[in-house]
Amino acid sequence: MPPTLSRRSFVAGSAALPFLCIASAAARTPGILVFGLSSYPPSLAPWANAGTAAGTVKLMIHRGLLSYDANGSLRGELAEQWTQDGPAAWIFKLREAVFHNGDTVESADVKWNIEQISAEKSTAYFRAEMQGIERIETADARTVRIVMKEPAASLPQWFASYHLPIVSRKSQLSEPIGAGPFVMKSQERGVFLEVEAFPKYYKPGLPKLKAIRAVVYADENLRVAALQAGDVDLIEYVPWQSMDAISKDPKLALDTTDGPFMYLLFNGTKPPFNDARVRQAVAHAIRRDDIVKAAFFGRGSPLAHLPITEKSEFFNPELKDGWNYDPALARKLMADAGYPNGLSCSLLSTAQYGMHKDTAEVVQQNLAAIGIRAELNLPDWATRVTLGNRGQYDMAVGGTAADNNDPDGLANLIDGSLSPSYIRSFGVRVPRIEELLKAGRAEFDPAKRKAIYKEIEALAITQAPIAGLAWRSQGYAMAKDVTGFKNLPGALTFSSGITLEQTNAG
Amino acid sequence: MLGYVVRRICVAAGLVLIVATLVFLAIHLVPGDPAELLLSQGGVAPDPATVAELREKLGLDAPLLDQYVNYLAALLHGNLGSSLIDDHSVAAEIALRLPRTLELIAAAAVLAILLGLPAGTLAALHAGSLADRLASAAAGIALSIPVFVVGTVAILLFAQKLRWVPAGGYVPFERDALGHLLVLAMPAGTIALGLAAVIFRMTRTSVLEVAARDYVRAARARGIAPGRIVLNHILRNALLPVVTVLALHLGSLLGGTVLVEYVFNWPGLSGYLVRAVELRDYPEVTGIVLVISILFVLLNLAVDLTYAVLDPRVRHV
Repeated sequence: MPPTLSRRSFVAGSAALPFLCIASAAARTPGILVFGLSSYPPSLAPWANAGTAAGTVKLMIHRGLLSYDANGSLRGELAEQWTQDGPAAWIFKLREAVFHNGDTVESADVKWNIEQISAEKSTAYFRAEMQGIERIETADARTVRIVMKEPAASLPQWFASYHLPIVSRKSQLSEPIGAGPFVMKSQERGVFLEVEAFPKYYKPGLPKLKAIRAVVYADENLRVAALQAGDVDLIEYVPWQSMDAISKDPKLALDTTDGPFMYLLFNGTKPPFNDARVRQAVAHAIRRDDIVKAAFFGRGSPLAHLPITEKSEFFNPELKDGWNYDPALARKLMADAGYPNGLSCSLLSTAQYGMHKDTAEVVQQNLAAIGIRAELNLPDWATRVTLGNRGQYDMAVGGTAADNNDPDGLANLIDGSLSPSYIRSFGVRVPRIEELLKAGRAEFDPAKRKAIYKEIEALAITQAPIAGLAWRSQGYAMAKDVTGFKNLPGALTFSSGITLEQTNAG
Repeated sequence: MLGYVVRRICVAAGLVLIVATLVFLAIHLVPGDPAELLLSQGGVAPDPATVAELREKLGLDAPLLDQYVNYLAALLHGNLGSSLIDDHSVAAEIALRLPRTLELIAAAAVLAILLGLPAGTLAALHAGSLADRLASAAAGIALSIPVFVVGTVAILLFAQKLRWVPAGGYVPFERDALGHLLVLAMPAGTIALGLAAVIFRMTRTSVLEVAARDYVRAARARGIAPGRIVLNHILRNALLPVVTVLALHLGSLLGGTVLVEYVFNWPGLSGYLVRAVELRDYPEVTGIVLVISILFVLLNLAVDLTYAVLDPRVRHV
């Protein structure tokens, strides 16, 4: 008699389904890391800044002259030594390394890269900096001497950036040939990228992984779910609301650093924010703890001064609370500036990213307490960028991270002589700050540099070319058996992909 | 009937042209500059000279009318253009992603029909029974829960707790057929849930109405088997409104699976469209919307033809 399925046995069977031992949908392959990216790189052009995900992938397949170690200190990569040679020149000694096509990395390659970046039609991130180079000398295949038009103390930091990798001079621009630890194997636009270990990588024993499969999980909650379900081994951009759950999960590890930050920008071309007192009043009216709580679920810290991290040698403890919460002082500054009854203005942010919107809402509430009626403008990100670049706002919320932990990175935010940009205030110029930034760039003596940037920060507190709001915690999360990956400190967090060469899984 | 079809196709072509123009204007008139955006990734300040270079390279510095004429000329040659971001062919990307969205919709539709049609018919034939009331209540709940909630709960339950299926993503069928079906199950099921509720309600109402007609009573009086009455006399007539509603829903799903694609990381057309809008990638946006519009028009044409099959009277209109 054939077996029959009674209604009762069907129900019993269904109820037992959850207890069946079904292997996890994603079985781990030793030596292969699945990396959950937050977005698909819009471009993998080696010298373009195409965001964090692109940076991470570039760090898999390329190397520059220098990079950073796990503590954030400069270290050699394709260059094994670098020294200053006179006030405006630097010498880089190349090590023995080969590109993915087997060619040796030579000084001519370095020269070619710099020439491409600084070319007239270039869209490279470091184009302006490379155009500041007077000449490049290549005495032999392993020596590069770079002579700047003006002294540049932060030049080594530029060459450690993942926006300045060295690719073979035989590269087609659409298919750059790198010298990094991994080689691009396959990719599907918008979905995934696969790289495999480069056997002739110049560091013996590295990379430890056989391959990395970088899969895009644009939804932050799905990215976390994929990690918890074992589909991926490592994720970037851990959402703040999930950090607690991940840190309590015995199978997972969380690595965070306070690197990126939120701040306010002003339109200095018209009243009321062309008056430093009004800008300063705004800076003293914000309860920064509320922003950390509302926008970052407590995963961050208040920022009441210029964005220089406490771990930096340029940090000034006495200016730490420069823009402390002081509504009485804020009201007095408003009255001194001629606004005793408050004022109305627009506050530009974006609804596309929760942290920008939440920050704007807290700022709006705080400003209402000192009589500033800020009307929120929350378009999508693309519109936000355009409005910011054109100065079509009174006040705006910004969020970014510096390129590196060198204070010269502050120029991007507070140097009003630079071209208009959505990341810095529009038309707010403080000539003394501009002079000091230039001096800081040309100063090589550490003590003198520190004094220069201290003066800049003190001036910024009173002139408020921007107003710092909050550091936000930037996190990577990974399975416990993923070893060697490290979130680099502070502003270098987005360079953490450099540690993938020493990462192992399974 | 041939004349009718030809007229419909002409009207459809006109509609597509209007859509193409509207989409072109809409995406160009909203603020946001692709060159600026591309160079502003990662919160950096692009050099204006670099932005100008890129605008020139992408042809964005030409007058809007010139851009429009070039766009239409390219369309007439069947050329949807290439991405402003990485020069990737828009047609190739659509050809890659459209089948995935169609597969998702088709799988959801099959699941929804398998669930909604019999359930709706049975509920109508046993109207007022406990099963009918329970099924109607369940359909009401299924309709009122947003897909992202269903999706998120499904991920929590089936991927994170039970670990039956991956949390999301995509596995090509040719690489791993079972893996493909596993990742398809949750997004398709999520869409199917709401769709099944719609089909259930429509079927139930329609069957109730048709079952009360005189010819059904007459068929019963003639002693025709109840099963045949349901299939040939009731369902065949009751299905017309169900097909209409289903087609309308399927059409809107072409551009409306975005939440499900996003939640489950399904690399289909909707997610691609959202990304293109975010990056102001004009050729991608216009190309995708155009393709979706054409499909929508074709779907409506298909519905009309289905009517003709289900109801011979329509053939003579």
